[in-house]
Amino acid sequence: MYALDTTEETAAVVGLCRALALDVLDPAATSSERSGSVPSVVRNALFETGLTTPVDTEFGGGGTPTSATQTAAIDALAYGDPGLTMAAVWSGAAASFIGGLGTEVQRQAYLPRFATDAAAHGAIALYEGHGRSPSESVTTITKNPAGGWNIAGTKLAVAGAASADPLLVIGVDPSDGNLRIALVSPSATGVTIGPVYRQLALDAAQLSSVTFHCTVADEALLGGANADQAAIHLAISNVRILLASAMLGTSERAMDYAAKYSTERIAFGKPIAAFQGVSFMLADIAIRVAAARLDVADIASRLDAREFHNIEAVTTAAVNYVGAVATQSTRDAIQVLGGHGFINDHPVERFYRSAAAMSAIDFDPLCTAFETAL
Amino acid sequence: MTRMFTISNELEKHGQSIKDWSEAEVRPYARQADIDHNPPANWREVIEKCPVAISRHDRRDRVPAARFTDGHWIKELLITESICYGDIWVNDVVGQGIGHLTVKLMGTTEQIERWYKPIVEEGGVAAFGLTEPHFGSDTSMVGTTATRDGDQWILNGTKMYCSGGSHANYTIIFANVDKSLGASGIKAFVVPLGTPGFIVAKENEEKLGIRAWRTSELLLSDCAIPLDYQLGWRGDRGDDAVGEKDQPSMRSGRSGALGALAQNKPNISAMGLGITQASIDVATGILKGQQAGFTPQRWSGIENELERMNIALERIRRVNYGAQWLLDHQMLNKSEASVSKAFGPPTFERIIRRCMQLLGPEGTSTELLLEKWYRDVKILDIFEGSAQVQRIIIGRTLMGANAGRG
Repeated sequence: MYALDTTEETAAVVGLCRALALDVLDPAATSSERSGSVPSVVRNALFETGLTTPVDTEFGGGGTPTSATQTAAIDALAYGDPGLTMAAVWSGAAASFIGGLGTEVQRQAYLPRFATDAAAHGAIALYEGHGRSPSESVTTITKNPAGGWNIAGTKLAVAGAASADPLLVIGVDPSDGNLRIALVSPSATGVTIGPVYRQLALDAAQLSSVTFHCTVADEALLGGANADQAAIHLAISNVRILLASAMLGTSERAMDYAAKYSTERIAFGKPIAAFQGVSFMLADIAIRVAAARLDVADIASRLDAREFHNIEAVTTAAVNYVGAVATQSTRDAIQVLGGHGFINDHPVERFYRSAAAMSAIDFDPLCTAFETAL
Repeated sequence: MTRMFTISNELEKHGQSIKDWSEAEVRPYARQADIDHNPPANWREVIEKCPVAISRHDRRDRVPAARFTDGHWIKELLITESICYGDIWVNDVVGQGIGHLTVKLMGTTEQIERWYKPIVEEGGVAAFGLTEPHFGSDTSMVGTTATRDGDQWILNGTKMYCSGGSHANYTIIFANVDKSLGASGIKAFVVPLGTPGFIVAKENEEKLGIRAWRTSELLLSDCAIPLDYQLGWRGDRGDDAVGEKDQPSMRSGRSGALGALAQNKPNISAMGLGITQASIDVATGILKGQQAGFTPQRWSGIENELERMNIALERIRRVNYGAQWLLDHQMLNKSEASVSKAFGPPTFERIIRRCMQLLGPEGTSTELLLEKWYRDVKILDIFEGSAQVQRIIIGRTLMGANAGRG
């Protein structure tokens, strides 16, 4: 059965986030990219929404949004700036993981702080490159015969690792093939945080690699040794799909900006929107974004329904499709602006860079194929 | 005679030595040039290290310009690609602009002597100022004016994205002498650097890519130049003027501008071939080192994709050489040059992007040049006639003048 109504709550959240995107994120985007950090005015504004660092009321937070609401919120925030949005998503995701999967002790240890201190944040050590899905992680988390758990492996694109507490590491236990998640302090022995690298975009998120060769106590295993595998998969898919949501907002903003420009720019005696070479290109963006947004909404609905079956594969497919849509949409948006699309006076070049940077993070070469443009 | 699609061994070797030089000497400056929005201060030294002459005629010390059987424009394509293989910044200092080509197309014999020959024989840069803030593709919209005042022209207006405008020996400024004539009132004027009223308002734009290329905003504020600085100027009485009857060309300013751009179109694609081939080569090297980290299925997919990217570049080269072969054989290549300009650039973007994606989350890091090349390459589908404008030209060749008139 199809049921596509959005709840009043989601609609209200989207309205709020769109306003924040344009009033707070967009104006801060260029300077935060340059400084490679999130300004506190942005951090506080996002923190206040409770959407990027969701904590239950029980621990002093504003409650946990559904995946449907959260994906729509991130989509709307990225409309202002994807770099600042993803910095907040990756910093705040630890709250969702601990809230959803943690033991009572773990929740008490972290959630009250996440609920009240805007500067407190975690980091997600999830991605490994090489096209690997989370369950193909080469990073291992295995029982140490002498007690505790051994963690070994390297994670890429970890946001804000150096100042995070905790680092949340996702790995595989080869003894049973289960996914495990460990909470690690960035200053623990055997944790090596690589330098924050500057990149094509997303600099505010402070990405680095992190290598783990360490042992943690039993209490540091999220949800304990018998943590629910389905719940782990759902939580991982949720944070992965938020990256896709941000790519959707990126595409939409580039599209809207280019569409408006095309109605104002005059060439050959009329607005360039009057030419099908221009308007069809914009319509193609709209077609792709519409389809991609349903991909993400479908996965959000599965997550909300706790449907675990095949969730990793459909998430990978969706994230990669949205990545292809976002990179194509943003390059087409520049094309509509022509030379003006190439200079920093207009934000479209930032969306072009951001889309490509995001598309490379959770990329599986087997999901899409290289094709020539013509 | 059977058809052939090969480059002579001599030119191939020539190109290879330029490529090797560019990789070894030009590429190490790529990151800093991007940060500085300027070529390195010692760019002359970098160019001097090139073992063969590269389109610079101000360098007559050791190596005479080589001659090849392949033809001038084909040679230019190979050299342009090879130069850009290290990085695209060097094009800003090696290139001479296209202003002098405009002089050759539109000027009188005397003007060609005065402004074209010195550039090709002694070196220097001749910039081309057509685009203005309010127009790009629609060149009939030139808003800069040239007003006759006794024995001089007074120019007023703003030019944008003018490559080399801040330092070129002269810039060809397109301006309208009589707006009531519409597009046919557009004429081309030679404005030497340093002319009073010729103001470099902004030496370089804040851009997505090709940041080291100095693309300037120019302001013409009551800029006065002599009457015979108008290209094709034949005096007040037109053809009756003495001594200037030998130049048949009386092209309008606009058609002259577009003519100069047309010859250069395949060279734009060749620049992209340089950095795109570099992207594939850099990514291939890194990926091979990481092979063990990929599942066999993914690795085989990656190998297959890298091969298909190289095949795509070969196809693009054939299209470019095909277009310029026509020029070398004194044939018109208007449509073929547009095909060349439209064909390569969007695929270059896809290849560089795919290479970054195959490398994973760190493929977009500034530790590598791929992210820079992904920013640089975007302009190729825009400047000197966007993909959309090329389609109008190709469509009109195919379907007549009404094609694409919405």
